[in-house]
Amino acid sequence: MAVLHVSELRKTFTRGLLRRRTEALRGISLEVEPGEIFGFLGPNGAGKTTTIKILMGLIFPTSGTAHLLGAPAGDRAAKARVGYLPENPYFYDYLSVPELLDMVGRLHGQAKAPRRKRSVELIERVGLGHAGNRPLRSFSKGMMQRVGLAQALMGEPELVVLDEPMSGLDPVGRKEVRDLVFELRDRGTTVFFCTHILADATALCDRVAILVKGKLRGVGSLDELLDPRLRSVDLVWQAPSDTVEGLLRFEGQHREAAAGRLLTVDDLDRADAFVRELMAAKGRLLQLQPHRESLESLFVSEAARDEEPADDEAPKEQEASA
Amino acid sequence: MSAPSRGGAAPRIWAIALNTFREAVRNRVLYVLALFAVGLMAFSLVLGELSLHEEVRVMKDLGLAGISLVSVVIALFLGVNLLSKELDRKTVYFVVPKPLQRWEFLLGKYFGQVFTLVILVGSMAVILALFVGLSGGVHGVAMVRAEVLVVVELMLLTAVAMLFSSFSSPYLSAMFTAALWIIGRNQAELATFATGKKLEGTGLGAILEFVSAVIPDFHAFFISGGQVGGEVVSVHETFIGWGYVAEASLYGLLYASVCLGVAMLLFARRDLV
Repeated sequence: MAVLHVSELRKTFTRGLLRRRTEALRGISLEVEPGEIFGFLGPNGAGKTTTIKILMGLIFPTSGTAHLLGAPAGDRAAKARVGYLPENPYFYDYLSVPELLDMVGRLHGQAKAPRRKRSVELIERVGLGHAGNRPLRSFSKGMMQRVGLAQALMGEPELVVLDEPMSGLDPVGRKEVRDLVFELRDRGTTVFFCTHILADATALCDRVAILVKGKLRGVGSLDELLDPRLRSVDLVWQAPSDTVEGLLRFEGQHREAAAGRLLTVDDLDRADAFVRELMAAKGRLLQLQPHRESLESLFVSEAARDEEPADDEAPKEQEASA
Repeated sequence: MSAPSRGGAAPRIWAIALNTFREAVRNRVLYVLALFAVGLMAFSLVLGELSLHEEVRVMKDLGLAGISLVSVVIALFLGVNLLSKELDRKTVYFVVPKPLQRWEFLLGKYFGQVFTLVILVGSMAVILALFVGLSGGVHGVAMVRAEVLVVVELMLLTAVAMLFSSFSSPYLSAMFTAALWIIGRNQAELATFATGKKLEGTGLGAILEFVSAVIPDFHAFFISGGQVGGEVVSVHETFIGWGYVAEASLYGLLYASVCLGVAMLLFARRDLV
């Protein structure tokens, strides 16, 4: 059974005296399987946070359904098994970390001794042991993000929903969060997270969904979503000055590079041909880099696609699950 | 995986109430006590100079009025901000996704504020009793009854403030609640006016009569110097008994329950954006 199941979810906000309508979600459907790390990607205003707010019971869908762990979104039983880190988390800033985690433990119905033990473990695990009993108002953004992770894990969740978990963290902190996400997955916890940082999504996710303007443009593993075909090959080369002119006549895109000259060709056959010419001219190949479609290029092309897909156009989700 | 959840709603409501009380204490709401004590001290010194053998009487009257007014202002200020502050500071995004129902959250906030106000009124009453004692008087059980009624009034006022803040902005909520409190404190006058010679039998009279019947009767909780059953009552002479306190408390708590019930219904379906 899917840990998270969303079907034809729509949300329309009405704002102001004129009751202006904004369609934030336009019928999205997706499923997250147990134990996977699922990345929810999309540009600003795509509807990612709206989806998460519906899942967490903060807002209600205009139509469609959302279920977490078999229970409707917002149901107390489901919330007891879910940990949530909001985007730019705000907590009660007059509390210390132990006080905040104690409150969360109480809300999870944990007895005094286990919630104290869990709190101490988590404070160490997210690297906040040095913070002591300082109030949260004195914390940096990175420290607040760690507090957010600790409180999300306090109830020993089966599903963790992280909204921009790397936000505000330095490289060390980001690596720690990545390690934590892998650790959670290894323990059987499902992780659903939103991010703008595509490198993190590429490194972490088993599957991703790309949301643009309230519609899903693709759901699947990176292998399923990304075109495996070669896009281009970059070659960085050097050669004796008397042979350079001849080599620059080779078909392709030539540019100056820091360590020599850069040639971009369409395929590996053209790259092989150039390397043969370069060797014959007693030149040196410094670097050869084949380029395939990246998550970033897919994301950018989907975000830039303005026209709506036709009703009969099969989204990649269906292609992937077929 | 998940630790087993203990108990019913009570521990979760308590967790929210404890946090609300903690917030009030850490935000120095109880500093009002120090101001009250200093004000009372200064005032008793002035009274000692001005009044002749009536210091205790005046101190009790003004002390009780001070407790009532100060705590009403604080209840209003805290009450209308109870929910809006959670939304403004986005702490609601942290707490609502936790395993609790929205009504439990609302009730926890309410009890947390009531607990804060009980501590506040209780402490002010102790300070007043000390000053009365130092001036050679006795605080007395009549004053205790009057102070219990102040607490019930605050419980009702907080519930009214929460009702308004469950669907409107803090400014509008403060205006509505304050207006209702002022009208409620003058409910008897409004009823008399509505049924008086000028308005009797008119449409306006009927409307005012209906309004005076449905708005909360805040006057019932501050009656020293007023009339009960046609007789003037005062904390110095004949005052109401515990029977009246119980009756007024029942009325106040029932009214507060209705307000909270409506607030819970409205808050349960509200988009927290």
